[in-house]
Amino acid sequence: MPQRAPSAAGALDFAGLVRQHQAMVFSVAWHFLRDHALAEELAQEVFLSLHQHLATLESPEHVQFWLRKVTANRALDVVRRQQRRPMVSLEVVPEPVAATSAGDPMLGETLRKLVATLPEKARMVVILRYQEDLDPTEIAEVLSIPVGTVKSQLQRALALLRAKMSRSHGEKAI
Amino acid sequence: MKTAAFLIAFLAFAGLSAGQQVKWNYDKLAARASETVDVSLDGSLLRLATKFLSDDDADEAKVKKLVAGLKGIYVKSFEFKKEGEYSAADVDAFRAPLHTPDWQRIVGVHSTEDGEDVEVYIKNEGKNIGGLAIIATEPKELTLVNIVGAIDLDTLSELGGHFGIPEVEVEKKK
Amino acid sequence: MNLEDELRSALRRREPSPDFTDRVLARVSAAPAPHAARPWVRWVAALAASVLLAAGAVEYRHYQGERAKSQVLLAVRIAGGTLHKAQRKVQMLHTAHRSVS
Repeated sequence: MPQRAPSAAGALDFAGLVRQHQAMVFSVAWHFLRDHALAEELAQEVFLSLHQHLATLESPEHVQFWLRKVTANRALDVVRRQQRRPMVSLEVVPEPVAATSAGDPMLGETLRKLVATLPEKARMVVILRYQEDLDPTEIAEVLSIPVGTVKSQLQRALALLRAKMSRSHGEKAI
Repeated sequence: MKTAAFLIAFLAFAGLSAGQQVKWNYDKLAARASETVDVSLDGSLLRLATKFLSDDDADEAKVKKLVAGLKGIYVKSFEFKKEGEYSAADVDAFRAPLHTPDWQRIVGVHSTEDGEDVEVYIKNEGKNIGGLAIIATEPKELTLVNIVGAIDLDTLSELGGHFGIPEVEVEKKK
Repeated sequence: MNLEDELRSALRRREPSPDFTDRVLARVSAAPAPHAARPWVRWVAALAASVLLAAGAVEYRHYQGERAKSQVLLAVRIAGGTLHKAQRKVQMLHTAHRSVS
């Protein structure tokens, strides 16, 4: 167990922490909200909160955990408050205009758009899993939901994405 | 005389209690691996983990009993994209720290059929087991295990046999 | 195409605007200093802060514990599985040896 100093993380350079974690915080927000300006605004708010709470954080690892948790939950709050993206099933989302094949640079953009159409919780689970490489137990702690829920959300999201990608790719299996 | 005897006994106990992790250098292999599993749990993390292992789940209760009192568990498993990514010399380097009087190889199995080799070493501390080391190699995978402390090999093996993995019956030839 | 690999690639981290850090630091500097509140307000605020502090620390301890638990289970699975495999192979060799002799 790391030694607990009264403000071990607080002694860290705040500017350094911003530089170290800005990509993570911004990317979670951006992949979730798909709005650059809104994602930057949310990221700034998260770091302002970090500045206020820094003295309460125990270690660099605690800072990272805290940032992931606050970013994920604030992004979910934004969507719930503004209802910017109504939850729709993938079936009613228009197909990508051009069929893409493996290796096509547009494939990444297609996938990002499809992820953005997932229901909120599933979308955040996918982002935490594949952007942050968190395992289901860690995702459950960040989102304060049961591990079983994380696993089933992930399974269902992947099945939906697979089905959608298969349809846009024709018979080519994924 | 009494003081000397006490000191010797204390030092012996300290030596038994110290428990040292095997000094393996993984850097070369880690650089070549396509996937790495890395578990490093010292005594304090093991004690924390046991607080979260359930007494109601049969397997977790066994694991809880198994790891109680251990000083460390270190597991590294490397997967490679193709065969030949590590050499016999690489494996010899992992055997080297175990060529000391206190380590004893108790199992060495070489399989020509599937190319899997497993070596099991135990660390002797008087009449007790003070540690376990396993080196397991397959054509595209290499696994290193080091457990520091008195470990129950039968329970560990039993758990490995059915812990989420179906048991495979060994056919008895008549 | 492996969907999970493609998702990792598609969802890789990206940097915000180049002046992001500067803007955050500017906002932190510009944030007004909290003015002195009445004593009882300060006491309530301190209590609320200590509750939040405890909640944050408790949450993080829970996260550490759950993570340590899943790592222990993974380690036992790998170590136990490898040991079990070795024991099975030894048993098979003994069985084969006995049937020959």
